[in-house]
This record gives sequence, structure tokens and C-alpha cells, in this order.
Amino acid sequence: MAWRSALSKNLQELRVHLCQSSKGSQGARDFVLGSYQELKKANPKFPILVRECSGVKARLIARYDYGVEQNVPVEGLDKAAITKELEKLVKKGESMPRSTESEGSL
Amino acid sequence: MAACDAAGIDIPRFCYHQRLSIAGNCRMCLVEVEKSPKPVASCAMPAGPGMKIKTDTPLVKKAREGVMEFLLINHPLDCPICDQGGECDLQDQAMHFGSDRGRFTEMKRAVDDKNLGPLVKTVMTRCIHCTRCVRFATEIAGVQDMGITGRGRDSEVGTYVDKLLTSELSGNVIDLCPVGALTSKPFAFTARNWELKNTESVDVSDALGANIRIDSRGAEVMRIVPRLNEDVNEEWISDKARFQYDGLKRQRLSVPLVKGKDGGFRNAHWSEALLAIQQALKGVKGNEIKAIAGKLSDAEAMIALKDLMNRLGSGNLQHEAGFSDLDADVRSNYLMNTGISGIEKADAVLLIGSNPRLESPVFNARIRKMWLEGVPVYLIGSQVDLTYAYTYLGNSPEALTKVLKNSDALKRLKEAKRPAVIVGPGVLKRSDRDAVLQQVHGLVEKAEVVKEGWNGYNVLHDAASRVAALDIGFLPSARASAAPPAKFVYLLGSDDWQESDIPEGAFVVYQGHHGDRGASRADVILPAAAYTEKSATFVNTEGRAQRTKEAVPKPGDSREDWQILVALAEVLKQPLPYKTLNAVRERLAEVAPHLQHVDEREAPIWLNGEYFKAFASKAGKAAASNKEFRSSIDNFYMTDVISRSSQVMAKCVQAKGSMRQGSYAS
Repeated sequence: MAWRSALSKNLQELRVHLCQSSKGSQGARDFVLGSYQELKKANPKFPILVRECSGVKARLIARYDYGVEQNVPVEGLDKAAITKELEKLVKKGESMPRSTESEGSL
Repeated sequence: MAACDAAGIDIPRFCYHQRLSIAGNCRMCLVEVEKSPKPVASCAMPAGPGMKIKTDTPLVKKAREGVMEFLLINHPLDCPICDQGGECDLQDQAMHFGSDRGRFTEMKRAVDDKNLGPLVKTVMTRCIHCTRCVRFATEIAGVQDMGITGRGRDSEVGTYVDKLLTSELSGNVIDLCPVGALTSKPFAFTARNWELKNTESVDVSDALGANIRIDSRGAEVMRIVPRLNEDVNEEWISDKARFQYDGLKRQRLSVPLVKGKDGGFRNAHWSEALLAIQQALKGVKGNEIKAIAGKLSDAEAMIALKDLMNRLGSGNLQHEAGFSDLDADVRSNYLMNTGISGIEKADAVLLIGSNPRLESPVFNARIRKMWLEGVPVYLIGSQVDLTYAYTYLGNSPEALTKVLKNSDALKRLKEAKRPAVIVGPGVLKRSDRDAVLQQVHGLVEKAEVVKEGWNGYNVLHDAASRVAALDIGFLPSARASAAPPAKFVYLLGSDDWQESDIPEGAFVVYQGHHGDRGASRADVILPAAAYTEKSATFVNTEGRAQRTKEAVPKPGDSREDWQILVALAEVLKQPLPYKTLNAVRERLAEVAPHLQHVDEREAPIWLNGEYFKAFASKAGKAAASNKEFRSSIDNFYMTDVISRSSQVMAKCVQAKGSMRQGSYAS
């Protein structure tokens, strides 16, 4: 799936917030367990920061160029739905303004 | 005595200490036990079922009075000139339990003072032979330097031969000494303890984040003492944490400085300095800007700098403690997963590329404690005195390979219920880190270090700001390595950068609190607050977020780090969306929510080794060189700008040097 390798092309950083044990974060935990390896292999240098904290609501945060961030709550969503949300974030990155941070090869 | 403490009854004591073995030699804790003809020392007497203990009978009172009288026979009456005065156990207990008149007409004995080095001052005449210091040195610190010589009236506590106390934890004997025999040398005759303001804070001299209390008077830090935190430092701190504070008064930057055309610095106003930066940034492309964070940077400053750099179009962020390109994806990969106190549950320990005695002496004392309880310790790294015995397995990646193939150590780790592997900065700072780490990962899997309910994969860091930097993602973004050479470098308190980090001709801004290597290379210097002067977040090596507190005012015209960056962003027309400290912290929580849970430890999740697998494909078949593992710290007493500016630390280095040369006199 092409959008996976576009992750490092369209985004600068992806953060996944989740709780270690809550039910609402179950989908996010599944997502990280199931997709992290694949995403990292497709984007070896791209930071995918998994940040766990008890009681936090699961969400995805994409950082684009110029420090612009997009925050998507994924509390209660399952793995497939989170993947879709991520795909949307990656798509959105195509139309975002680019800074010099995106210059150069990987 | 423990039983009485639990029942809420205070028993006077001098020699008893809960973390030391029981000596029973001060006799102050005498109590009456039913059916026992004589009073017994409660510290050494095990409590039994149905035992009746009386603590306030006339017999007990008389016994305490008698003991106190004997102790005072040879104790000088120099309380007015004694630094312990006001926090002296003997003084308090003499007031409470002592007799109201003396019967003493003979001569008091006198004892020669001992030279224990530049940190601990001795007035041995005051010693009451409780032997707490001796027990601390042998049991906790693990140096066989102190002991008692002589008998009866002639017994003396001291080093057997004229010798310095060679422990990195030696300052703790000052707190342990119940009288004024061992006091702080730098603190001597500078202040009385009742005139000091106490501020509870956190130490930044290593990545342990020891809890400290800063005692200040006016604008000056007078001394630093430990604060109890069972999960982090128990009640010990290292000598660097305790004695480096005099460095806070030297080499300080107090006004903004701008380099003139003649190459000399001149004082400037804040607006001038910030405008000079704006001028210098004209025509510089985003990816030609680079930022390097220092060992003492706090999380608030780093997030502000990261946000500003991203807005300017740069992802070129580094941390001076090396290994900037280490992934910060999964917290369990760069934290001490067992926790600092949790390591004590381990039943086998393997140290790789670490010298915890220098990197974190208080943590080293924990490993020693485990070793005393029979936990085997293995070491792949430089063969040094760690204060405990270990099985040496070699000092190169080759040794690691050997262990991995088949060895007793591997077998022993595998058999252990809760094995722990501690990876030190000696591994993380290597150029062939990926290859070595891959082997370590292999070892972790093979020896089943991570299993249900136990994660024994530990990383020991050596710089206070390192974990926070990783937590908030202060690292180069994907294309940073492709960026052209930097024309503008922002040093956030960074003094230990590599020469290659700053290209010749680059415009350098140094923001920090001490004039050191970074400031001397800079074109603009922005004075900032040190850790005793600001409320800031630090994350220790186990991932525990802790905050320092403002104990003393900032010198001169200096500001807090995040304020400077917010002001600079304003001047550069890239305003940051926060204006108050609380707003910065909310932003921190947006990036890494666990930073908001101060003093707590958020358990890192392991991801079933998903990270290792992804890492393996990235590292590929990189080969490890055969370079030896080296600790990141050569000189324990001087690791950052504060300790380098400290005269006391310099004296320690000197004393250690003269000891090595065989002349013990200083």
C-alpha cells in the first residue's frame, strides 16, 4: 500500500498517544502492535513516537512542515478505523505547504 | 526498636540506622523488657510475641541519663562553634534525656582530626563512636577505608592509614553522623541551619534525578542535602550532586552579550541581542539552521526550541549527549524498564558498556546491595572497581558475541526468574551502535530477559536531559542528514558538542547559564537560569518526570530558558502558541502526556519486541567494530558546566590525582 511509504514523504512526525490498560485505547494498542513494524520498515528514519500514559485518551497527532499539527482522537476506534484515520492524515499531507525540512533525500 | 517505631514510640538512638547493620554500641536506646533483669538495647533485641516493653519507667530514664552522661564525658562543649549545632542529635537528646547538672571534673580526651579529603571535615574529638560512618563506608559505599582503631578510651574512628575517602558517595556520612564530628567542608562556618530556606528540588548532575533539598540564604545556595525518595535515591546523593553548588556562583552569564566587529563581546539589552539573531538569520534557509540541546536542558526549553525550529523549517535537532539518531519511537527501548527500585527484584544482572559507579553512583549502591544479597553480576565493559565483585566477560563486542553463542553467563541469565540487562552510555555512544544493539537485542531475546510481568531490559543514561529529549522527540527529522552544512547553530546550554557539529563560519547563539566552551564559540550569548533558579521538568533514566523548584533568584538579567525562546520566536515573527509556564506544560502534555504526571512513573509498554524486529531490518548486517567499551565519563567530578566551574569539584580531582601518585597529604 503506497500510502504507507508516503508517511515520511508527507509528514514530519507521527505521535500515537494511548493508555496502557484502558478499553478505549485497545484499538490503538492493537494498531501499534500490528502496524508499527510494517510502518517502520517502510519509513526507517521517520519518527513514530508511541507515548503511553495512564488515563490518556487515544489519539494520533501528525506533524507537518512548519510545525503545523493535526490531532485526531481515535479513542474507542478499532485497528482498521485507526489505519483509515492515518491514511487520511497522510493524504492531507500532500496538500500542506512545504518547508525546507522536506528538502533533500531520505 | 523497629517495633516501637511502628507503634509510634520514639526511642532515642545514635548508632542505629535502618539502612545500616546493627551495631548496638551507643546504648542510648535502652528499654526495660519484662522478665529481663537488666535494660536491653532495643536496636539489637528482636521483638517477640507477648513481649512487654516499657519505655518510660524510672529505670529507663535513669539508664538514658547515665548513657548520656558517659557520652558527654568526652564530648567537647563547643556547640556554639559547631556546624552541627541546631541539627545535632546529641544536642537534642542531651536536652531531652540528659541530666541537669554535671559531675565531671577531670580532663576531656582529645583526638587528632583526620584528613578525609576536600569534602568531609572532621573534628574527631566530637566523635561518640557510633560507627555509622564506618558501616556506611563498608556496607553501602563499598570502600574498606574507614574503621576503629584503639581500645576503650583510646579508640578512634578514622582511616587506618592517612588516606582519603575514595567513594563517590562519601558526602552521605555527613548526614549520617549524629554529632558534629563529620561535617561538610565547603559549608563550614558559612551559615546556621535555622536561617536557611529549604526548597525541595531535583538533582541534575546525572540521569538518576536524585531528590534533593536546596538550602539557600538570600540569593545564594548554601548547601544541598538529599531528600528521602525510596523509589529513586533512598536517602543518598552523590558527591557531585551535593557539592557542585559552588559552581553556580562562578563563570555565570548575567547579561546578554553580542560579539562586536573586533571580536570582543559587549553587553547588550535583550532586544539588541534578539535583533542581532534576527539579522543573522536573514537569508539563511530553514534547513541550514541547527539546534543542539545540552545535558542540563529542561523539557520546557527543549519543546519550545523544537517548535521554533520546526516553524523555521528545520528538523535538524541534536542532543549533545551523543546518539542523536537513536530512535525515540518506543519508550521501553530507551528507559530503565525495571525502574530504579525495581532492579532490586532482579536475580541476575548483566552490565554492558556501563560503569555505574561513575555514571550514577547512587544506582551503583543499589546494585551493590543486590550483590550483597547474593545476586550474581556480570560485566561486559572496562574492568574497573565497581565496589562489588563481578564476573568479567570481556570488553568488546566480540565478548558479547561469545556470550551470545554459548556461555555460563547466558545460561545463568536464562535460568534466572527475573534477569536484568543494563545497557550503558558506553554502548549508545559508539559509532557502531546499531550493530552492537542488535547483538544486545539478540541476547535479550535468547536469555528471555523480557517475559510475562517482567521487563529486564534497562538503559542507563548519563545526562539529566537525555530522556526528556527523547520523550518529546528532540531528534533529527527524517531528512536532517541530507541538510546542507549549518550556517546558524543554536546551542541550548550545550558545551560538549563535537567540533564537526559546528561548521566554520557558522553564526552561533549560546543560551545557557555558564561561560564555558559553548559561550566562547558564540556570536550572541543569552543568559539563562540554572536548575536551582527555575521550575523545570526533568525526566530521569526510568522515565519519571520530576520538577525542580526555584530556590534562589536568577542572577542579573538572565531569564528562564523557555521565556527566551518564546521572546525570540516573537522577534522572528514565528510566535509560539504559549505565553505562560502552564501553557508550555500543556504543550508538553500534547507531545508526551506522561510528562504531566509529575513524580510518577508511567510504565513503558513493550510492544512484544516489535521494535526490535523493525530495528533489526534497519540495522541490517552492520558489523560491529572491535573497539573496547568505554564509559562516557572519565572524570566523575567534572561532567557538565556547573561541576566544571566548581572549585570544590576541582579540589576533588586534585586530591584524587595526588592520591594516585602516592602522596596522601593534601
